[in-house]
Amino acid sequence: MKPIFTLCVVACLLSPIATQAGEIAYTVRATELKAKPFADAATLRSLAEHGKVEIITRQASWMQVKSDGTTGWVKMLSLRLGNGDAPIKSGDSGLGALFNVAATGNSGSTVTTGVRGLSEENLKNARPNPQALETMNGYAVSKEAASGFAKAGKLKSQQIDYLPPSGKGGN
Amino acid sequence: MKAIILLLALLGLTAPATAFDFGNLNLGDALKTVQKVQKATTDISEPQEIELGNGIASNFLGAAPLLKDQRVQKYVNNVGRWLALQTERPDLPWQFAVLDDNDINAFAVPGGRIFITKGLLERMKSEAELAGVLAHEISHVLMKHHLQAIKKGARTELMSEFAGQALQQKGANPALTKLVSAGTEVYTRGLDKNDEFEADRMGVVIAARGGYDPYGLPAILQTLQGINPQDSGLALMFKTHPALIDRLDLLDKLMSGAFDRFETQPNLAPRFMAAISKLDKPVNRKQ
Repeated sequence: MKPIFTLCVVACLLSPIATQAGEIAYTVRATELKAKPFADAATLRSLAEHGKVEIITRQASWMQVKSDGTTGWVKMLSLRLGNGDAPIKSGDSGLGALFNVAATGNSGSTVTTGVRGLSEENLKNARPNPQALETMNGYAVSKEAASGFAKAGKLKSQQIDYLPPSGKGGN
Repeated sequence: MKAIILLLALLGLTAPATAFDFGNLNLGDALKTVQKVQKATTDISEPQEIELGNGIASNFLGAAPLLKDQRVQKYVNNVGRWLALQTERPDLPWQFAVLDDNDINAFAVPGGRIFITKGLLERMKSEAELAGVLAHEISHVLMKHHLQAIKKGARTELMSEFAGQALQQKGANPALTKLVSAGTEVYTRGLDKNDEFEADRMGVVIAARGGYDPYGLPAILQTLQGINPQDSGLALMFKTHPALIDRLDLLDKLMSGAFDRFETQPNLAPRFMAAISKLDKPVNRKQ
């Protein structure tokens, strides 16, 4: 176990943490590369499912990408980051699960436990800090202040109901 | 004797047999319990919800310090408070705080205190992304997800004792102490997956209600999905949440079409970048 994690620590230090721009993503379904971030914009080309693209930037629900030299727009949620051949998994599968074993100490490894403030162990053993709670109270803002802040950002309240669990989409 | 039988009968009404240890029963405790049974409820009032949340929040602050940057703290509170105003519980004492911690995570405690780590904040690119995450956390408070998880895990007797406890009473409250401790542990196990999906579903709506680009939440989830899952800063979040790919799949289905009319709402990226400009960027940070 230990050598694997030593390796990981070294690798993690060497590779910069993901910044979206310039990252590789893959399409989760066949989709169209659009000239502009609109559904009715001209289609530049078709992208097959699991087609690889390079991310440039996001604009609302659209992502500007480069695909085989052509720059255009696709729906952000038709993309997942990583390589389509081996999508990055999280949660209870793959390396994430392996890591969780280490983090919970079941393997006897102490690789990261206790190093970071919010590890599982630190939370379990946390002692109350009423003084910091008092300081946090001082950061609170009033409704009026928050409304003024929203106004300064030109944010306007909208009416929309919560969505049903099934989520069929469409209006 | 009659009194004791009556007592036991009453206790039986509120406590499952397995939760009961007759070996520890003494008359004083039993009488106290009867007083609580008279209230015959494990319903937690809103002030009690807040009190329990304060205890858990205090523990969080014992595990990680507050970011010492009043400007950032006020900024996050403004975004959060504005979003809370768009909800069904606008009058809770909503408070937000950035924890000076490189882990990537956010937490909501019962009653309206919400934490976000510096590590997560640093990976965001706009105020809309911050709004998406805060709206997800606000949804947990609205739906009392953690309160219900605590209730589920605690013995009925303990919940009843806490529910019956008058808030004005000074001094130690053993039931509260136990529930705060049990409550803090809930955050190491996580909620039911469906509670997380529900918070995602509600979060994008609350962000849209606040006038934000509602794609902030999926955008930051997608960024996190691209981070190497072996990054230790994600360990607790991965353990306590559904896989990011599943969360993105759900939002993909939900938002398609329904959110088109909010497409032009601002993401306020410049205001966000100005607010967090003094934070270290992850790429420059010594790990």
